[in-house]
Amino acid sequence: MMSEPKRLHPAAVIFSVIRILKNLIYVISAGVIAAFGQDMFIYVALGLFVLIVLLIGISIVEWARFRYYIYDDELRIEQGVFIRKHRYISKHRIQSIDLTQGVIHRMLKLTKVKIETAGSGTETEASLSAVTFAEGQAIRDELKSRAHVESSDDEAEEPDYPQEQITLGRLIIAGSTSGSVGVILGLLAVGFSELERFIPEAAYDQAMTWMVSSAVEVLIFLALVMFILLWVLGILGTIIKYGRFQITRYDTELFMTRGLLEKKQMTVPLKRIQAIGFKETPIRQPFGFGTLYVEIAGGGLEGENVNARTFLFPIIKQDEVATFLQKMLPEYQAFPTAFERVPKRTIYYYGFRTVFFPVIALIAILIWLPFVWYVPVVLIVLALGLAWLRRQTAGYAMDDQHLTLTYREFSKDTVMMKHNRVQAFEKRQSILHRKHGLATVKASLLNHFAGRHVILREVNEADADRMADWYSLRQEHAHD
Amino acid sequence: MRQPPQHWIAEDAVKAWRMADAIVMAIVLLLVIASFIVGHFFNWPLWISVTALVVWAVLSYVIVFVIPIVRWRRWRYEVFDQEIYVQHGILIVSRTLVPMIRVQHVDTKQGPILKRFGLSNLTVSTAATVHEIPALPQEEAAALRDQISELARVDEDDV
Repeated sequence: MMSEPKRLHPAAVIFSVIRILKNLIYVISAGVIAAFGQDMFIYVALGLFVLIVLLIGISIVEWARFRYYIYDDELRIEQGVFIRKHRYISKHRIQSIDLTQGVIHRMLKLTKVKIETAGSGTETEASLSAVTFAEGQAIRDELKSRAHVESSDDEAEEPDYPQEQITLGRLIIAGSTSGSVGVILGLLAVGFSELERFIPEAAYDQAMTWMVSSAVEVLIFLALVMFILLWVLGILGTIIKYGRFQITRYDTELFMTRGLLEKKQMTVPLKRIQAIGFKETPIRQPFGFGTLYVEIAGGGLEGENVNARTFLFPIIKQDEVATFLQKMLPEYQAFPTAFERVPKRTIYYYGFRTVFFPVIALIAILIWLPFVWYVPVVLIVLALGLAWLRRQTAGYAMDDQHLTLTYREFSKDTVMMKHNRVQAFEKRQSILHRKHGLATVKASLLNHFAGRHVILREVNEADADRMADWYSLRQEHAHD
Repeated sequence: MRQPPQHWIAEDAVKAWRMADAIVMAIVLLLVIASFIVGHFFNWPLWISVTALVVWAVLSYVIVFVIPIVRWRRWRYEVFDQEIYVQHGILIVSRTLVPMIRVQHVDTKQGPILKRFGLSNLTVSTAATVHEIPALPQEEAAALRDQISELARVDEDDV
């Protein structure tokens, strides 16, 4: 059907120029700032102009030399000006296909198509930076086995496929518990330190004297206002990013779309799901909320960020998970709620691990800075609390086909793995472990790149052996 | 996982590891000697270099004489039709199960030292992990490699 080699939409030139400029932004802005207010400025501006013209030229040639087509169940891409690169991707190897629309894309009714395979690289396997939206959907439908389901636009989905949407209330909860305040504060701090240079000395001094002379109450009030402002900003950010989140279950795949400004669509074939997980951050857990995500091989919606997970649902109550899965992903509906916890006596191991560094810090501080002894002491108390929480959390659950491990670093993470998706299983014992009848288990999964190793520390040795028996194919277990 | 795997790796592994470790320690010894010479010219107190020498001696004993034998005693493996079972570790003992259907590829590797002893390392890779069975007699390693790659052949196109 699509065997004719095609070019991208000419707007690809714009995206290419923008992308290169983005990469050069530091170099360019450094140059501009250095030249600012000097006689050289006109030359720098001229140089910049020439650079942009050059970039546009290169991008046009690149665009002209770029072809893609689908032939024989393969997506084929030919590109390169001097060095021609041909890349053929079999559709059977594709892990996920996402369509992403930035603001410019949306104005021109275009979309970016990203195709991920289970490769061992950080780079997207194939990406078409600009095709018309209809074309993007046609490519997607062509590259996956799904028999022609029209999803012409977001709302007009077929009614008989299960679907879930996010409500505004939930978005606000997600935003207010996302902890993005901290991130924004950090960014602001960095931004401010850069900005400092541009603020006139006098204004800066004035502000400082004012701050110093004002009452403490005023400063606290200001800080509070600032905090609330950032918080609201964080909520807005979440609403923009995850607004209109919608997940649809088709016969053999999940289809997610999200975003108010930048719209993203993503298709995950069910066959590619390696595990699902439920993550509760310390802020969300007390309210019973968490995020439900899926581990897949190949990149997720977030693209570049390795740690970003592909959300099944950005925020969901713990007691709704079972219903949600039953509806959207019955393959994993047995998501356990009761866990076999690790034995109480393991608190010594957990405690040792978290307290080790604070204690060393305490010793060092007692030697060199004895007057701030309380800092490491507070740290030690916090560390003990964390150890207690970790011990409380750690546990496992098993049924015929699934192993679920739950553990905590800071956030509580519960990972449910299908038997045939676990790549390897390891049981580890130190000398002390052997004496105490304990063991640490590790189940390895395939995810974006290097794999993910889900580790549960210090379970009863008998439990570790049970898990090993469950995993071992030699036993006469009836798991398929 | 209650019983350790049955097979041992080659006894010569100890010799090969000792040789490799001894070479490393010899290089470290050169550094220690260099510290004596440099110290002589720059008038460092002698105890610095002497301590270094003592530390070197203790480390060498542990690394060259103790660790290889303990390591060798721990390394076990067993290859079943359905899975590979490996044990290793010195203070912390790991036992790992790798199902045949998850195996992506098998390699044998041999450096100059292993070659001298007619040994080969075997590595088994899944999509997410890599596992090693070191220092097998080279014919055995090759046979095992072929056997595993035969057993790992499945039609499933899943990852």
